[in-house]
Amino acid sequence: MASSSGSGEVATERRGIPGAQFVEDVQTYLAQAGLDVNSALAFLQERLQQYKLVEMKLLAQQRDLQAKIPDIEKCLDTVATLQAKKGSGEALLADFEVSEGIYSRARIEDTDSVCLWLGANVMLEYSCEEATTLLQKNLENAKASLEVLVADLQFLRDQVTITQVTIARVYNWDVHQKRIRQAAAPAKDS
Amino acid sequence: MQQSGGSETEVTWEDQQNINRFSKLNNRFHELEDEIRIAKETNDNLEDASNELILTDEEVVRFQIGEVFAHVPKDEVESRIEDMKEVTTKNLEKLEEEKDSVLAQMAELKKILYGKFRDSINLEED
Repeated sequence: MASSSGSGEVATERRGIPGAQFVEDVQTYLAQAGLDVNSALAFLQERLQQYKLVEMKLLAQQRDLQAKIPDIEKCLDTVATLQAKKGSGEALLADFEVSEGIYSRARIEDTDSVCLWLGANVMLEYSCEEATTLLQKNLENAKASLEVLVADLQFLRDQVTITQVTIARVYNWDVHQKRIRQAAAPAKDS
Repeated sequence: MQQSGGSETEVTWEDQQNINRFSKLNNRFHELEDEIRIAKETNDNLEDASNELILTDEEVVRFQIGEVFAHVPKDEVESRIEDMKEVTTKNLEKLEEEKDSVLAQMAELKKILYGKFRDSINLEED
C-alpha cells in the first residue's frame, strides 16, 4: 500500500484551518502546555467545536458547487444542440414551462448567438462558440474549486480525528493516574 | 506494567495516521454508496425510458435538454438514450470498483489497528 499522502511532516495549518498538534506522550504534553487535565480537555473540546463549525461551512459550499456543476453541463448541452441544428435549416420546436404544470411551445429559428444569464440580473449575448468557451471555462473552474474544497475537508477531518484521539488519551491518562494514586493512598494510611 | 482497565497503550504517529486514513476511507465509502445508489436509479430511469420509446408510435418525442423539452425525432432520441446508458453503466462500474478497493483497504487497517489496540478502539458502524 502506498504511504499516506504528504511527507513525514505535518501541515501546521491549511487555508486558515489550524492544524491539530499530535501528542507523542500525554505527560510531556501537559507539562509543556502547563495545563492541568481539565483545562487541557476544555481547550481540546473547544478546538473540536471550532473544527465542526468550519466543517459545516465547507460542506455547505461543497453542496452549492455540486449543484452548480450539473447546471453548467445542462447549459452546454443546450448550446451544443442549437449549434447542431444550425446547418439543417429547420427550426427547433421546444416545450417549456411557463408556470407550474403549464407548458408552451417555442419555435427556435436558426441562430448564431445565445444569451447567457450571468447572475445579478445580468444577461449577455454571445455567439455560440463564445458561449461554449465561456461555459466550458466556468465548468472547469467549478470542478477545480470542488477539488480544493474536498482536499480542505479531508485535512479538516484528519485534524478532528487527531483531536478526538488526543482527548481520549488525555482522559485515559487521567483515569490511569487517579487509579495509581488510589492504589498508593491506602498503603500510605496504614 | 499494570494494565488495569485504563490502558496505557501508546499511540504513535503512525497509528494516528492509520486512524486518519481509516476515517477518510469510511467517509469515502458512505459517499460511494450514495453515488452508486443515484447511478443505479439513473440507469433504471434510462431503461424505463427506452422501453417506453419502443412502445410509442409517435415519430417525434419530447426530449429534455436543459430546462426545456425539445421535439426530437424518435431515432435520435433512441441513440441519445443509448449513449447516456453507456456513460452511466461505465460510471457505475468505476464506482463499484472503487467501493471494493475502499472496503479492502478498510479491512487491512482494521486488522492492524485491532491488532495493536484490541478493545481500546472501536471501528464499527454505530
